[in-house]
Amino acid sequence: MTLRSALRTLTAACGFAVSAAAYAELYVVANPAVHLDDSDIKDVFKGEKQFAGAVKLVPIDNGAAQEIFLADVMRMDAARYNTIWTKKSFREGLIPPPVKSGDIEVISYVRRTPGAVGYVVSPPPNGVILIRKY
Amino acid sequence: MNSSRRVASACAAVLAVTLAGPLHAESTEAAKIRELEKKLERSLELIEQLAAKIKHIEQASAGLGDAQTKTAAQAAKIEAIEKHVSEIGGNLSRRASEDGLPMHGFADVGILKSGESNRAAKGRKGAVLGMFDLYLTPRFGDRVKTLIELAFEAEQDGSTAADLERMQIGYTFGDAATAWLGRFHTPYGYWNTAFHHGAQIQTAIQRPRFLDFEHDGGILPAHTTGIWLSGSWGLERGRLGYDVFAGNAPQINGVAAGSALGTAGIFSPAVNAGTYGGSGNLNLRHVGSTSHRTSTGFNAWFEPDAWYGLRLGVHGLRAEVVDDAAAVNRTLLGMTGAYATYHPADSWEVLGEYYRFRNQDRSGGTGNHGSWAGFAQVGYTAGKWTPFARAERARLDQTDNYFGVQANGRSYARLAAGLRYDVDPKAALKIELHSTRQEDLGPGVSDTYPEIRLQYAIRF
Repeated sequence: MTLRSALRTLTAACGFAVSAAAYAELYVVANPAVHLDDSDIKDVFKGEKQFAGAVKLVPIDNGAAQEIFLADVMRMDAARYNTIWTKKSFREGLIPPPVKSGDIEVISYVRRTPGAVGYVVSPPPNGVILIRKY
Repeated sequence: MNSSRRVASACAAVLAVTLAGPLHAESTEAAKIRELEKKLERSLELIEQLAAKIKHIEQASAGLGDAQTKTAAQAAKIEAIEKHVSEIGGNLSRRASEDGLPMHGFADVGILKSGESNRAAKGRKGAVLGMFDLYLTPRFGDRVKTLIELAFEAEQDGSTAADLERMQIGYTFGDAATAWLGRFHTPYGYWNTAFHHGAQIQTAIQRPRFLDFEHDGGILPAHTTGIWLSGSWGLERGRLGYDVFAGNAPQINGVAAGSALGTAGIFSPAVNAGTYGGSGNLNLRHVGSTSHRTSTGFNAWFEPDAWYGLRLGVHGLRAEVVDDAAAVNRTLLGMTGAYATYHPADSWEVLGEYYRFRNQDRSGGTGNHGSWAGFAQVGYTAGKWTPFARAERARLDQTDNYFGVQANGRSYARLAAGLRYDVDPKAALKIELHSTRQEDLGPGVSDTYPEIRLQYAIRF
């Protein structure tokens, strides 16, 4: 393999990785006890909607996918998102969503926590329900 | 003789040429052989190198097989560890959420130089400690909420004041209703509950002056002790929210003695004579009182989906307020107003609040008094920089007991402009310039002064 062809392959691989990240699929999932419309997702992650029927909602952030989630779903950057939660916490005593490290932790938490709502980039396994795929 | 010499020379030349040919051919072949030998050596070296590489690759391939086997086993172990860590983390998170004490806060320090110099006040200069504010949000379950806020502030006399700013315990029935009991931020307008002591989360350094805290001479009760019901609904075209509350009505303490309050046909002759007499501050009576009076209020707002970031609201406050003058004044404070905020996902922040007062003198014969106050603020965020500007105006009737006895109950106009730089998401450096015209300092007396402030504010 010549240097030129190696560079070409590397460039193609990088391009694929970038495009894969840019178009990564995102799945908003919830504990099976949650009955939620996909139009409620924004309100849940802004602390506006705290209950689904009698179930207290527990939004969970996914550190590995938060940037994609904020850009594609919430349409805001991390600074704005954190400020919203600081104001919510300051005014209403709400606790901001805990941040999990990745899909495994999110799925594990959502499975065992009634009311939990999270998001992952890998197709959701059994034990959680899909609210919406982005 | 000459011919024989010529023949001999020619023969010698022919012989030389004849002998030189094979000699030259012999040397050329030798050079070729040497070159071929060199090439062969290089080829052998190359073959050796390739053989070494192949051997290395074969060894690596053999090792890779083992490594793949090992990797599969390690992956299973890592997955098991991840799950274990996840469970531990989840349990810790859950325990922190249920039993822990989430504690947050704000702090700010700064420098100021005020040019105020009139009969009402002298401006300060120098480095200043702002406020150190701690708030805790312990959670006892899904529906019980608590907010406790403590603020520490350095006073001008060198002491440090600790205020229990909020202590409210609530119960959430659902999105549409959370009931709080205790001391809370009075939910009028937007600023008072959105920012309050959170210097880092407000764009500007200072609050609008008429919305100052009670101990700083604010003209409205920034806190109320009582009951507060709050909630919101998601509608088809937006979100509708409300606050209703009832609590202890404030009292005005520290009214200057001897100013013949309540007996004058036009309140505060000291003011009219240019000798300024108002010095009272609102006392929120957060432990009740022997002569209870109730304050009530509301706030209703709507956020349309069609215009993300916009909130439109109306608000009101009603309370019978007495002061501690020798001849006690009783005033029915009646405030109604409206506000609008616009803060989309980025860039713009627009705030505007309007307060209209229709106060009734219940102890004297001066009747009803109309006043108003308001502000408008605009900021634009570009990266880490946010330039902002604000205009404030308060036209307060000095014949109204409620304003006349208060230290900050004078009319004023202020223009402010500044720049905020977000050092990081939780720290901001701000600079702010004011020009304030202080009115009602006596007949025809006003004072216009500049002020500059620098603030470094954090949240945690």
